[in-house]
Amino acid sequence: MTGGLVYLLYVLFAVGGIALYLAMPRTQGAHAKAGLVIGGGAVAGLLALCAQVYMAPHGSNIFYYIFAGVALLAAGRVVTHPNPTYSAVYFALVVLSVAVLLVMQRAEFLAVALVIIYAGAILVTYAFVIMLAQQSGGGSSADQRAREPMLAIIASFVVMGTIAGRVSDLRELPNSPVEVQATADVMDVPLADTPVKDAGNTLSVGRTMFNQYVVVVQLAGLLLLVAMVGAIAVSRKRIPADEHGPPPPPPGEIGRTVPPF
Amino acid sequence: MLLAFTQLGFSSILALVILGIILGMVAYSIYFERKIAGWVQDRYGPNRVGLPTLVGDLLPEKYGKFHFWGLGQPIADGLKFFLKEDIIPSHVDKPLFLIAPCVSLIVALIGFVVIPWGGQVAIFGQVFNVQVANPDIGLLYILGVGSMGVYGVVLGGWASNNKYSVYGAVRATAQMLSYEIPMGVAIMCVVLTCGQVRLEEIMASQVAGWNVWNLFYHPVAFIILWITMFAETNRTPFDLAECEQELVGGFHTEYSAMKFAMFFLAEYAHMITGCAFLAVLFCGGWDPIPFVRIPLFRPEDTGIIAMLAKMAVLFGKVAFFMFMYMWVRWTVPRFRFDQLMRVAWKGLIPASLGVLAVAIAGLYLGLHRTLWFTLPGNVAVVLVSLWVMSRAKDPVSGREANLPPLTRSPELGVQA
Repeated sequence: MTGGLVYLLYVLFAVGGIALYLAMPRTQGAHAKAGLVIGGGAVAGLLALCAQVYMAPHGSNIFYYIFAGVALLAAGRVVTHPNPTYSAVYFALVVLSVAVLLVMQRAEFLAVALVIIYAGAILVTYAFVIMLAQQSGGGSSADQRAREPMLAIIASFVVMGTIAGRVSDLRELPNSPVEVQATADVMDVPLADTPVKDAGNTLSVGRTMFNQYVVVVQLAGLLLLVAMVGAIAVSRKRIPADEHGPPPPPPGEIGRTVPPF
Repeated sequence: MLLAFTQLGFSSILALVILGIILGMVAYSIYFERKIAGWVQDRYGPNRVGLPTLVGDLLPEKYGKFHFWGLGQPIADGLKFFLKEDIIPSHVDKPLFLIAPCVSLIVALIGFVVIPWGGQVAIFGQVFNVQVANPDIGLLYILGVGSMGVYGVVLGGWASNNKYSVYGAVRATAQMLSYEIPMGVAIMCVVLTCGQVRLEEIMASQVAGWNVWNLFYHPVAFIILWITMFAETNRTPFDLAECEQELVGGFHTEYSAMKFAMFFLAEYAHMITGCAFLAVLFCGGWDPIPFVRIPLFRPEDTGIIAMLAKMAVLFGKVAFFMFMYMWVRWTVPRFRFDQLMRVAWKGLIPASLGVLAVAIAGLYLGLHRTLWFTLPGNVAVVLVSLWVMSRAKDPVSGREANLPPLTRSPELGVQA
């Protein structure tokens, strides 16, 4: 991205940050509508900038702009919605939109993995916890206001702006499995003898993961296993019968009685 | 000028046709559900509503009033759902309350697109896949869509703002998360056997060579997948989310009229997709008889009649599995929730990991497609599971663990 446009990018990020600050949930004096309007404008500007600078590889594809916009706006709502359940639903929308963007980049495997793991498992667990933790009609307003919105927004938008300003230079990313395969070939990784042209997305990802990054995969698996053992160890606690309440009554005539709970 | 007839055009037509078939099947599976319930419970089931246009009444009087076995019942049910008052209780969270049935239905109706319904067909010299979409990730797509299915239940239960509904939603979530694991592991056995995640190729590998269905390589994985299908679709004995004795109607307690019907439709559509998935993964899809090559049903038969025959076979298998769903529903009582969790975590997950180990060993030794290796391996998994289970001395529930041991009372005549 050429010099002047990068500053435009930074300005858009700043506007987005202000919009998000305005839209943050507060118990009084909220400007959520104004924030959303400004934020929508910032997202539209960002997309227009993308359209201007990167006509390829998806400059003409209307779906890219639709889903990118949906993802950004929904991400904004994740942090600004006062109700955590709605935040979870918006997060699901973000995940699905990003999955669509990945499909458009021909990364189907990554897209489906994202949906299965994030939308299917992790997010449902979040929803589970939220539902149990916060029943409607509760007295506390702790969920309805943001804590330290200013600092959080400044920190996150500075990080995002820095990354975006840097990434906007990297235009020559390989964006198809075939090209990824080609780079892998250059790096002299032993590959099976099937022709690269027919290699599907899943096959390519699998080969890359289990040839180049096999140690990383093993380490990640080990880490998850350790986390699981730890979680079980923390949650497992034997409660002796005495701590529960009074000892159960002696068995009746027929055998034993089960008191109604 | 004719429309350029491409795979896209063919897929669009096929999608509409299959969607129509599935919706029709949903209506009539509700009819058969009630009929089968009647048979199991020694009743007649619905047999009053004749087909429309009063054909029954036009027959001569001496035949009596003929009701066509109550075949008009689904139409009457549908009409009733449309005409009933649609109540939105005042205490619900309205947006999510309205979205939830739609999410359920949409998710249930997009799963079928990757199912290969009938091999390939040649029309005017052009060859098409009888499949709406053939992505590289067909199998994972079904898993992903299936895992989204619980959103409708969760959102509906939460938005109803009713403790029973929330309990139903929470149960559905925990159940879905637990049963996804053995399901995924059982499916991995198929992936290892066929070396593919594309459903089309999984089908092709089952009709190649000796026509051995995956069912014969890994029967235990098939049974595990079948059980988890019951749990995924919230069917008895796993329908804790809508357990009438405890939760009124569970997550759909507050729903009425068409919104309730959408949950209902979604459940049955999900079942049909699941049955088709099961048939394609393990039971040879459109192949009618294993180990035998029948003319019309070879992969190279690409006529339109062959396609229709193949589709008929696949839908026949779907109908069979649907019947099994219903048979089980009216035969097996519902689990208790701790039993449900125990079945998943202590029964199905270890067993499925055992089958997966057999599949991996077979792949390592190059024997993953030989019956004499995988079948004894599966039998060994079953035997080990039975041995371990017979030695397990778990209390049935926490409450029962706290009860004193059973004592025998001589005066009642109980002998030691």
